[in-house]
Amino acid sequence: MRSTTGADRTAITAVAVLTAAFALFFLLPFAGLVERAWEDGRTFEIWRTQQARDALFLSLWTSTLSVGLAIAFGTPVAYLLARYRFPGRAVIDAIVDLPIVLPPTVAGVALLTAFGRRGLIGEPIDNWTGFTFGFRTIAVVMAQLLVAAPFYVRAAKAGFEGVDAQLERVAYTLGASRMRAFVRVVVPQAWPSLLAGVILAWSRAMGELGATLIFAGNLEGKTQTMPLAIIEAFEGSSLGLAGAIALSLALLIVALALLVVFRLIAGRAASGV
Amino acid sequence: MSLSFSAQLRLGPFAYDATIAADQEIVVLFGHSGAGKTVTLQLIAGLLRPDSGRIVIDDALAFDTEAKVDRPPQQRRVGYVVQDLALFPHLSVAQNIAFGMPRGGDNGTSLRSLVSLLRLDGLEERKPRTLSGGQQQRVALARALARDTRLLLLDEPFSALDESLRADLRRELLRLRRELGLTIVFVTHDLREAHLLADRLAVFDDGHVLQFDARETVFRKPVSRRVAELTGVSNLFAGTVIGTDARGTAVEVNGLTLYCSTGDAAPRPGQHVDVAIRAERVNLRRAASAPDETNLMEARIVEEFAYGATHTLRLEPTGTGPQLEVELAARPYEVLGVASQRTWLVELPREHLHVMPAG
Repeated sequence: MRSTTGADRTAITAVAVLTAAFALFFLLPFAGLVERAWEDGRTFEIWRTQQARDALFLSLWTSTLSVGLAIAFGTPVAYLLARYRFPGRAVIDAIVDLPIVLPPTVAGVALLTAFGRRGLIGEPIDNWTGFTFGFRTIAVVMAQLLVAAPFYVRAAKAGFEGVDAQLERVAYTLGASRMRAFVRVVVPQAWPSLLAGVILAWSRAMGELGATLIFAGNLEGKTQTMPLAIIEAFEGSSLGLAGAIALSLALLIVALALLVVFRLIAGRAASGV
Repeated sequence: MSLSFSAQLRLGPFAYDATIAADQEIVVLFGHSGAGKTVTLQLIAGLLRPDSGRIVIDDALAFDTEAKVDRPPQQRRVGYVVQDLALFPHLSVAQNIAFGMPRGGDNGTSLRSLVSLLRLDGLEERKPRTLSGGQQQRVALARALARDTRLLLLDEPFSALDESLRADLRRELLRLRRELGLTIVFVTHDLREAHLLADRLAVFDDGHVLQFDARETVFRKPVSRRVAELTGVSNLFAGTVIGTDARGTAVEVNGLTLYCSTGDAAPRPGQHVDVAIRAERVNLRRAASAPDETNLMEARIVEEFAYGATHTLRLEPTGTGPQLEVELAARPYEVLGVASQRTWLVELPREHLHVMPAG
């Protein structure tokens, strides 16, 4: 028979209070956002403006494309890092991690010095073809990819490492090609990690601000994603603070929706359907 | 289905060099962990590449250094059941079994026959983690057989199961071998299991095959002291050959003359040899049947272990002769009255004394 001593009760109370305080800290900002947007009354009006719709649409499709590219290029890299020991592996591993610890503004400057009009590779491309990356939508995708892809690679690598390599070897002896073993055995088991990586990368891409601002600029309808539009509104465009609030609320709703969708998929995967 | 295998390999400080063969039989690879048993299976399956060697599976060249052939595991058509089974946890029993079946064809019939062959009826839709250890074992066997292979590689397949289940599965394996005409390479470090299943036995030690022979030959006529030790011979004496006459080869062991049967290759007088006799082959007697009877010594029981079905006795010589270990079944132990009598005349029967070159 367990008895609850006075010390136990104190500890339980302390944990409860701390948890409640922490939860409040997370909830209050969102409550504030909703409350102000409601009170203001112009929220729906602002959502319907061309600028808001352009920004949201741009954010959605560039982040989707960035995540798609991160999956396409990042999956083989993650698998390679998880399964094989090869010269230069540690270097690649570190390079993949670098953008995670790097402030996005630095990433933006770095992109500019590489792909900008006077950049390392940007300049010869400009000279030969007259094409420049800067201030185009492609620059938005590049900025998001650089900042967000490492999160996917990291999660995918951890996922692949968690799959027993013995399973693949057995699959080979059962006649499965490397590709088939990967698709039928490795991916289904790394699925929760891959999904987590996609969510992380997507949210990073959606929220990307610093690198985009520096490398792609802030052109309405072209490079102005939601975070950029919010900053602009906040700093005193025609939309004003009400605009910042309305756009933030929109972004919050999109983010919540994505999270719920992924949770549902992950839950289905975990229950083994 | 036949296998012929010879391979050399260096893995850091580990030097591997082994030659075995199998043809519609169970070949047991026996030895301590790290002796090279699993490496052998991986080399056969193509999961590990030898530095040099030649591997032929069912008359098809799988690996040959000289011919520069190295077939990938996908093309070797062997069924490999790894030690931890490695069932695909996200797939059902039926999907696991069907994984290696040719795609596109109608696999329903062969799937059903494998399911009933391995007595997995009713479990087809279950996930591996919901099965018992024995059932998981049978799923792994079914999956390995699903590629229509007749060469099975089994790596300590029953080691994680309790004794009664192991006995069942061993019987099952012998049945499968009979019904399907399988060739099986079976890895174990369990002496009893090796004895029960092996047609032929390869004794591995430190990356090398010390002896590869019919089971009885390995157990009764080990080629060296090390093989004798590994196969559980508890009485091993160093001795010197005196000479050979009609009674056999006389070997002096701790002042006692033992006559041994050595077959054709009688060792020269003066040669140093090791003499082996299994503990269960030593007899306890009350008296000699004839005054000139040989291979007898007097010894006293100094230690005793009761295992239920058998008793293991340790004896010290009262005069000349070596220390001995004797294993007696429970019934003779009682009939002889070993519990009350401590000093015995011990007989080391000539035909069970095995002489090996000293090593």
